[in-house]
Amino acid sequence: MQKYEKLEKIGEGTYGTVFKAKNRETLEIVAMKRVRLDDDDEGVPSSALREICLLKELKHKNIVRLYDVLHSEKKLVLIFEYCEQDLKKYFDSLNCDIDMNIVKSFLYQLLRGLAFCHNNNVLHRDLKPQNLLITRSGELKLADFGLARAFGIPVKCYSAEVVTLWYRPPDVLFGAKLYTTSIDMWSAGCIFSELANNGRPLFPGTDVDDQLKKIFKVLGTPTEESWPGVTQLPDYKPFPIYVPNLNLPQMVPRLNIKGRDLLQKLIVCRPSGRISADEAMAHPYFHDNPRPAPKTK
Amino acid sequence: MAGNFWQSSHYQQWILDKQDLIRERQQDLAVLSEEEYQKIFIFFSNFIQVLGEHLKLRQQVIATATVYFKRFYARNSLKNIDPLLLAPTCLFLASKVEEFGQISNSRMINTCQGVVKTKFGYAYPQEFPYRANHILECEFYLLENLDCCLIVYQPYRPLLQMIQDIGHEDQLLSLAWRLVNDSLRTDVCLLYAPYQIAIGCLQIACVIQQKDGLKSWFAELNVDIDKIQEITRYIVNLFELWKSYNEKTEIHSLLAKMPKAKPQSNR
Ligand SMILES: Nc1ncnc2c1ncn2[C@@H]1O[C@H](COP(=O)(O)OP(=O)(O)O)[C@@H](O)[C@H]1O
Repeated sequence: MQKYEKLEKIGEGTYGTVFKAKNRETLEIVAMKRVRLDDDDEGVPSSALREICLLKELKHKNIVRLYDVLHSEKKLVLIFEYCEQDLKKYFDSLNCDIDMNIVKSFLYQLLRGLAFCHNNNVLHRDLKPQNLLITRSGELKLADFGLARAFGIPVKCYSAEVVTLWYRPPDVLFGAKLYTTSIDMWSAGCIFSELANNGRPLFPGTDVDDQLKKIFKVLGTPTEESWPGVTQLPDYKPFPIYVPNLNLPQMVPRLNIKGRDLLQKLIVCRPSGRISADEAMAHPYFHDNPRPAPKTK
Repeated sequence: MAGNFWQSSHYQQWILDKQDLIRERQQDLAVLSEEEYQKIFIFFSNFIQVLGEHLKLRQQVIATATVYFKRFYARNSLKNIDPLLLAPTCLFLASKVEEFGQISNSRMINTCQGVVKTKFGYAYPQEFPYRANHILECEFYLLENLDCCLIVYQPYRPLLQMIQDIGHEDQLLSLAWRLVNDSLRTDVCLLYAPYQIAIGCLQIACVIQQKDGLKSWFAELNVDIDKIQEITRYIVNLFELWKSYNEKTEIHSLLAKMPKAKPQSNR
């Protein structure tokens, strides 16, 4: 542990505290995540293990890099590349409208990181602004793979793990257990809208019912016709029938027409109707100038 | 994770070179002959297998644990950590990584005690000596020595795909599957890619079941034939060794001869 000098605390995660730190030899600034090991019966928590082993395999410019794993008595320390801030803090620090080219650049990088995960059969499952890190030069990186996993594995007791509902798709809210890449695409859509609105969340629900209601009031309540199988989901329950009321110019006024089209293809209630990360990257929204490229803030 | 093998840590860091492997083992091979060394590893692979079955783990988890075990000693002498402690630690770690569901440490210790007593008394007449805190400490050490490369590709999936391609051959599959399990008692998982091991095992299975009709199917595979032959040689050699080997009478003295950790500390 002598290799790094601990500087200030930068965040609190679900299984540990994150500090800024400096490599004493190279003077490089890194992020240091300390994993508490309080359960003797479990050993290294499986969420930390999952993060470690997936990040070891996923090396990409839009995925936060894990440099090192250190251990001492009763503590495990993960050393990550340092990023200036997360997207949530970025929103909080905005004091004027966000540049729409930055919106495009951030979304493109989010999709590129996601496409890489998905092509490697990994789902992130917990995308939200706090888990998207932004570097000084305007690069965006996916972080926090503690809930990520290989696809197709049914998940037990998901609800206990949930921290925020705002980025959860309706299928997961209805208790779907078998996830596919579409779960991350919904979250990407919510984040896209939030980007275009200077950090105002799209569906800020207070509980599962309220979350679903907010979604259905905009997209319409799904039926067996619009979404075959919806009534069979484990936690399905009927909601009042809302008709679709998707007023994009009002919802994301600053987003151009192609951007609105892409958003509409991401936030689709029926999971199989959502656009994939690869398809989204090829959407005409990204053809217009300026092409998305990392931008200095 | 069924991601891209060619970009994986398995391919990039853990397909080892035969010469390196021999060099790393010098220390242990000064005390043990190569055959004795292999016999010790056969014993502990069996131990992991039996322990895993008692814990009702899937074969994939057991295989991953065995690969961890072999990777660890590919970089360490047997005296760095007692294999009797490393074996359950590998299963403990693999069950978390493979998302099989956590095995609690206490259950692991209980199962070790039971299995050592009922199944391996011929090798370890005394009680299983380790406790939960040993496994916790050993888990760190294992993680570090694996350089956190925890995702292991196994030959089972490529084998299933090949069998599907050939057409449903249930007997062939079950024999080749058992050969893949046997291959864990050799060094092939450290030296060759899983799909190559799958092909090697399938080829031996075809020879045993006299499926000459599949010759042309093998000929069309675009693989390095020399590598496949090396793999089959490893497995055939294992069978040769098994013929003249009586573990029950020999293992006790082999374990006595094995280089050991100093009693106080192994770190
Ligand atoms: N590499 C990093 N660089 C800068 N800040 C980081 C880094 N990793 C995490 N953080 C900060 O710490 C917070 C919590 O980290 P996170 O990985 O999300 O923890 P958890 O997975 O336990 O929720 C993040 O929201 C972010 O603000």
